[in-house]
Formats: sequence, C-alpha cells, structure tokens
Amino acid sequence: MPETFKMPPLDLEEYTLGNGLRVVLNSDNAIPVVSVAVYYDVGSRNEREGRTGFAHLFEHMMFQGSENVPKAGHFQHIMKAGGTMNGTTSSERTNYYETMPANQLPLALWLESDRMRSLAVTQENLDNQREAVKEEKRLRYDNQPYGQIFDLINEMIYQNFANSHSTIGSMDHLDDATVEDVQEFFRIFYAPNNAVIVLSGAFDNETAKDLIETYFGDIPSQPLPPELDVTEPEEVAQNYREWEDKLAPFPAFLIGWKIPPRRTPEFNALYLAGKVLYDGESSRLYQKLVKGEESVIQLFGFTDERRGPSSIFIGAIPKPQKDLSKIRETIMHEIHDLSAHGPTAEEMEKIENQLVNDAVRMRQSSMSRAQQIAECALYDGDPTVVNRELDDLLAVSREQIRNVAGTYLNTENRALLDVMPVVKA
Amino acid sequence: MNKDFRKFPPEPLAPVGFDIPRPIQARLDNGLRVVIFEDRRLPLVSYRLAFESGDIADPPDWSGLASSVSSLLTQGTENYTSLQLAEKIERLGSSISASSSDDFTIVAASALSLYSTEVLQLLAEVVLQPTFPENELDLYRRNTVEHLKFQRSQPGFLAGEQAARLIYGEHPYSRVSPKASDIEKLDRNVLSKFHAAHFVPDNAIFIVVGDIAADEFLTELTALFGEWQPQRPESVPFDPPQLRKARSLTIVDRPGSAQSNIVLANLAVKRTDPDYFPLIVMNQVLGAGASSRVFMNLREDKGYTYGAYTRLDTKRLTGDFEATAEVRTAVTGESLKEFFYELDRISEEKAGEEELQDAKNFLTGVFPLRAETQEGLTNLIVNQHLYGLADDYLQTYREHVEAVSADDVHRIANKHIRPGEMAIVIVGDAEEVLPQAASYANTVEIYDTEGNIQDTAKYMGSDNEAPVDVTGKWALNIEFQGQKLPVSLTLAQVDETVTGTLDTMLGNGKISEGRISGNKLSAIAKSEVQGNPVEFTIAGKIDGDGMSGTITAPIVPDPLTFEGSRQA
Repeated sequence: MPETFKMPPLDLEEYTLGNGLRVVLNSDNAIPVVSVAVYYDVGSRNEREGRTGFAHLFEHMMFQGSENVPKAGHFQHIMKAGGTMNGTTSSERTNYYETMPANQLPLALWLESDRMRSLAVTQENLDNQREAVKEEKRLRYDNQPYGQIFDLINEMIYQNFANSHSTIGSMDHLDDATVEDVQEFFRIFYAPNNAVIVLSGAFDNETAKDLIETYFGDIPSQPLPPELDVTEPEEVAQNYREWEDKLAPFPAFLIGWKIPPRRTPEFNALYLAGKVLYDGESSRLYQKLVKGEESVIQLFGFTDERRGPSSIFIGAIPKPQKDLSKIRETIMHEIHDLSAHGPTAEEMEKIENQLVNDAVRMRQSSMSRAQQIAECALYDGDPTVVNRELDDLLAVSREQIRNVAGTYLNTENRALLDVMPVVKA
Repeated sequence: MNKDFRKFPPEPLAPVGFDIPRPIQARLDNGLRVVIFEDRRLPLVSYRLAFESGDIADPPDWSGLASSVSSLLTQGTENYTSLQLAEKIERLGSSISASSSDDFTIVAASALSLYSTEVLQLLAEVVLQPTFPENELDLYRRNTVEHLKFQRSQPGFLAGEQAARLIYGEHPYSRVSPKASDIEKLDRNVLSKFHAAHFVPDNAIFIVVGDIAADEFLTELTALFGEWQPQRPESVPFDPPQLRKARSLTIVDRPGSAQSNIVLANLAVKRTDPDYFPLIVMNQVLGAGASSRVFMNLREDKGYTYGAYTRLDTKRLTGDFEATAEVRTAVTGESLKEFFYELDRISEEKAGEEELQDAKNFLTGVFPLRAETQEGLTNLIVNQHLYGLADDYLQTYREHVEAVSADDVHRIANKHIRPGEMAIVIVGDAEEVLPQAASYANTVEIYDTEGNIQDTAKYMGSDNEAPVDVTGKWALNIEFQGQKLPVSLTLAQVDETVTGTLDTMLGNGKISEGRISGNKLSAIAKSEVQGNPVEFTIAGKIDGDGMSGTITAPIVPDPLTFEGSRQA
C-alpha cells in the first residue's frame, strides 16, 4: 500500500559562508516556531589515545559562557524567550540546538555565534566542568545498573581505537588535560569550517541569511582537522566477556555485531532485520520471549549508526531463574530462521507501514527536521539526502534482509557480554 | 550596526501571528459530540474518544474500576484476542491506547491518514465490544497489586496521597490510587457493567485532528457509532471540599530517609475559573520553572535541593496549588522557612515588571511549540473541549496571558495561596523532621508508610533525652559500590552543638550545622573538591563508642551507609 505514498520533499536552500560554515535553510511556515541546530564535526572518534572524553567535556564547556554571554546565561536567555534547548555528544558529532518562537531567531543566532566565536575556555571553567563530567559519569554510568555495558561491548566489537573507546572517556585523561590542550581542541574542532548550521521552521530566507552573515560571517576559519581513519577488520576484537555488575539486580546479556557503515544497502537491510526481530509487541523475539516463553523481563535491540563500521545489538534481562543460554538459543534460532526464509509478507507490510509512519512523524517538529537535515549535511555531505532516505529503506527487498541476516548476524562475528550480579556475602 | 552589537541580546523580530483555525463541530443523533479539525500539514490522523467519566466515577466501595476498564479495553474484543489486536494495529504502523484520569477516560489512536478508516474501525471495536477476557484480567490483577505495593516505597507517592486527603477531604479527588482489595475483587461482570454505564455516546466527545475530509469522516463515524445506544449516566453530585482554616503539619515517617520530601498544598480553583490566567502567570513567577523564584532561592542561592517548584492542578470541579521540593533532612526547617518567605512575599508584594514580563514571555512563547506536532495540537483541542473552555480559547490564549497585570497577580496570590492555611506534608525521618518543622503549624499528625496514624508523642522523646557525648576522633568506613572507603570525623561538643572536621581521601571538610539530639548526630561538612564546594550531610546514630548512619552528597544519588568506632 505505501507504494502509492509519496513523501513531500523538504524545501532546502544550502550555501557556505566565506569562512566555510555550511548553512542549510528549511523554511516551513506552518507554525511560528524556529529551530536552530549547530552540528560540529567532532565526536569521540576524533579523540587520540590519552585524550579521551574531550568531545563530551566540550559539550559542557559550551554552556560556561562566552564573551558576551555569562555562565549559565545561555539557558536563562532561552527560557525567558519561551524556548527550549540542549546539546549532546556521540562518536560522530557534537550538537547544540534550540527551538524558539519564530521572532526570537536573532537571539538563538546571537547565542550560538557568541560561543563559536569566543568561548570562555578558562582554567576555572575547565576545573569546574571536569568535576561536573565526573559527577555525570558516576551518576549515569558507574552508579546505574547495566550502566557500563554499551561502553564495554564497543571495546569488544571494534579494534580501531577511534571506534572502540567510550564517549564519556577516561577521567584520568580529563585530569591530565591542560587549559592549553582544551583551547587547542576548541580552535581546531569548533571552527566554522568544521560545522553545519541548520534552520528549520518559520522564517524568511533572506532575513535569515542576513542574520547568519552578521553573527557568524567574521568568525575566522581554521586549518581542517587531521584526516581520520576509522577502518576496521571484519572480525570483532573479542568474542566473549563476563562482567560483574555490582548494581545489577538480575543477570543480563548483550549481543553485538559489527556491521557495515550507515547508508550502505547492507546497513539498511540490517536495520530492517532488526525491526522484524525486536521492534514492537508483534515482533518475533517479543512474541517468543516476552509472551510465549515468558522468560524475559525486558528485551531490547537497536542499531548504532556510524559513518564508519557500525553495529547492531540485541539484549535481554531474563526473569529470575531463567536459563540465559536457552534464551540466546531462541534468539539465534530466530535469526537463523530469518536468514533461511527471510521476513514474511506480513512482516514486510508492517515494516513498510512503520517506516512511512515514523518518517512522517519525524517531519512534524522543526527540531527533528533540523537534526535530520544536519546529519545528512554533515555525514553525507548533502542535505538533500534527507528527501530520499525513506525511499532507500522502502526499496530494501526480502531477499536482501534474508542475506544480511545470514552474512552478518552469525556467531563468529558476534561479541557476547554476560552481565553477572555480584552475590553479596 | 556598530561593532558593539554583540554586547547585548538582539531585539526580537516582529511578532508572528499564530492562528489556529476553529474546528467543525457536530452531533450525532445518539448525542455523540464530534469535533473535526482538518490538519493538512502531513498525512497523519489522530483520534480521541473521550468520556466524561473518570476515576471519580468509581463506586465508593470499588476504587480503581474506571482505570481497570480502560487498561483492559485493548486486551480483547468480540472479534480479536489481545495478540491479534496488537498485530492488526502494528501492521498498519499505528497505535491505540486507553487511560483514565480523575475526570475523564480517553481512548487515543493515531495513524497514517492512509489508514484512517481501518484504525477507526479498530477503535470502534475496542470501545464498543471489549470482552475483558479472564486470562488478561488475571494478569492485570497480579501486576496491579504488585505495582500498588511498589508505589508505597516511593516518597513522592506518599506525599501526594496525604496532600490529596488533606485538601479534598471527603471529595473523591482525595483518592489518588485504588485499594489493593478492590483490585483483587474485580471480575468481568463489574467491568462490563461499568463499561455499559459509562461508555455511552451522550457521555462522550469524539475529536479528530488530521489529514481527513470532514464530511467523509462524519459518514464513517456515523456508520460505526450511529447505532450506539445513548443512556447518559446519572451524574453524582459531590459536596465541594471545604476551605482550610489553619496550617497543619503531616509527617509520613520513613525512618532513615536522607531527604525530606516536602509538599505545601492548598485548595485552588477549577479549570474554568476566571482567575486561571492570572494564576498561571503567578505560578510562573513563583515556581513553575528553573528561573522562577523558589528555584532561584532554594536551589541556586541556598543549595538545599536539586529542584524546588510550585504547581497548579486545575481539574474539572476544583483544583489545588502545591509547592514541592526534596531537600536534605538537616535543612527541612530552613526549607520551610524559605518556602513560606516566598509564598508570603508573592501574596504581600507586587511582582516586578521585568519578572512579570519574563514569565508572560515564557508562557506565550512556548504555546506555539506545543502545537507543532499533531499530537500536541490534538491535546490542546481535547483539553479545550473536555473542560468546556471558550470556543476562541486557543486563538486568544496569548492575549489572555499578556493581559495579566502585576495587580492581578497580587490579587489572586492573596486570594488563593493563603500560606497561613496550607497543609504541610513531609515524607522523611519523623524523629529528625518533627523538631525542625513543628513550629510551622498549629497541629501535627504522623503516619507510617502504610497510611496508619501514629502516636506523635513517640517521636517527641529524643528531644528531652540528654545528648550523648560524641567528642573524639571517629574512624568510619563508607560503603561505596561494594568497597569500604575510610573517612574520619573529629568532633568537639558544647551542649547540643557539635563542631569539628570530616577527613576524606578527597579532602577535608569543616562541620557546620552540627547538632546532637539524644543519640542522634546531624551535621553538614563543607568540603572542596578541585575548587568546587561539595556538601556532605551526615546522619549518625551513636551507641557507646560505635556510630552508624548515612552520608549524602549531591554527587551521589543515594545515601551511602557508614559505620565505625571512636578511636582510643
């Protein structure tokens, strides 16, 4: 049925400022709201050995004030204008974004440009944010049950240091960092020619262009960051590991596979194979494990999408007294079945409808549009890719899904992390 | 532009109008009211079938009936099992769910507009022909009873339960969750009866927002729901809750709590009260956000808590106003002092023009953000119609906010907050909390976490006991992620006042607010970690030369237990 469905393309205007800042404008006047997304091409993949955690530390530094915006001023300015905002860090990029009433576009651009131009990289802010990051690590990773398992399995999957180390990084490395290191990191990676800015929502393109030129036009460009090698051998670094988690109430396991980069036909097919296996109450593994065997409390799966080698995960927290290896057998059995027979016609219909539904819903908010466009601009070098993403996924055949399930989701290419609670004496 | 244009935030552009068109309204012969909003932005559709029967429609002796009916609605129908329904719904890439609140029950569905007909049929199936299958009811009973037990471990739940009782008294809004015994005695018959009595067309509003044609939709709706028989349930009148006359203190004792969960509450107004707009502006100035007064005072200035807020809950018949924070036990009294300072101040003094404008800017600014997605827009329209707000409510919302003056805020703060008559609810360690909080209220009552009233005198004792001697150097071990971390406390004592230092691997802290009451030590050690102030809150119990208790710091989410002994 969705064959008849055509997604209306987003209206995009793309250009580059004299200093190399890439700009994409997506004007859509349906609601008087505008979102601004600034994506810097720096993530944990850019970190050297001995200097991990810098990209994420920087996300914190970006809220510590700049020449004309006091510490914590960013947040206050946006609240008082009736807007919302945040920033995040991944292996691939660091992003900052705000959604504002349409007439507050100048405020958003002023705030983003002030920190791109003149971030306060001082000893005091560095010390202060190092501690904040340590608290965050304790809170979100060290002190959460199962909080470290994704960092651990990435070390098992990837052999290349750029891919394998965690985004939160090493606290020792952060302690070793001098303010000069951090200033240098800022100069190289937070340069206008290493960033993309996307506006989506209600604005006039000419007004937006004038404002962007005014606020960002004279921020000096910098030599491009060094070339990056994220290539990987096919084999995972380590097949099996047992991990004692002091906070975990139950045993759990996580399986990860190394798979080809995003946008490749293989990656797309694996993304859909994952949907058949673990997405929703009618998915195969939910039906087998949560409903049928009633053996798991929680089942989850997802793909980690990267410009280089990527990964797909399936994990479960079994009910007490259930046999973990039997649950894994069920999972491998279903994968095997998928690689032998492919998805059913009903499953293909469900996937297609869910893909279309998800894609249309993503178009609703200016913020999710801005983020999708920014990813295409940064990762694919072409924001218009956003207008054919859905078609690429809908073009994936049953045969392709069958093939990738057999080629990639096998036991040789698999990293298995067993999480064991510590039995208290 | 001169080169100093970067020094100050830029002026906004000209304001952009935000026009939400008026929906089409209709009524079927059986009384079903219909609201149709054509939203052609994207090929999506959202349905809401809302009933004017919520949890307060539960029979007095059968709490939880409305919420059980809505939970089980999607778990089996005349034609489909629970699993078949899930498959049919997911196959279309769509979703259907049902839930109840105090006043309403809402069945919600959303889908690609391409499947608007199929999903509408499934929605009709779920609403008109549920069967409440025995096996699904059995699972629901077990899970719900477990959940009811679990929520008694949550201080937020316990505080809300007491606050509702104190404000609403005999009114059914006082009931925040069903009784386990009522859930256990559920049977298919009682569920079906409730369903038959309340899920009727003249008790409902059908709201559709989406990429649909109004006339075609009405035809489909009439075909599916036209034969549905009307029989409006008799509405049971409730006596309105009485205004409170005096300030009261209610403590829910959770021995060993590191934090006090504070709720200050009073009766406020219903959703359609003419004071609504001044109240939401007042609430924004006072405590709704992270730049409001109580947050700036209790968190930013004093550092008592991660967050302190005020909240307005306006329901269909009446409503309440609350101020809430989770604070370290040792500063419970100080937090009450600051809360009442702010509640008195907004009642007594006019708000400044700048902060008033900031509050209004926030409210008018975020309003269009809420209408960006179809789900968000649908929720705005649903609330407008369920609460019976004016036809131009969404169109004039921002004007109403802008029209609120400093005088209005002052007037309604005075009228509705009434700090002198508030209910103070504190969930925490009663022995620690009582001496700090007792002077803030005229009456005191103490409950346990199961809701049983306790003898207050039992918690007064320790104050009269002579303080034990804690002087000396104490070697303590903190339990942290399975490891023992050594720290030492060096204490000196004059009567009930304790001074000294806390020495840890991270650095040394000076004891402030140290106090010994009977055999209980409470103190704060202020330390610095790499130039940042860190406060450790110590709660210890002394038994001769032994001491045990908890240490809390903002950098760790849960209190750490310690034990150790006095060095010779």
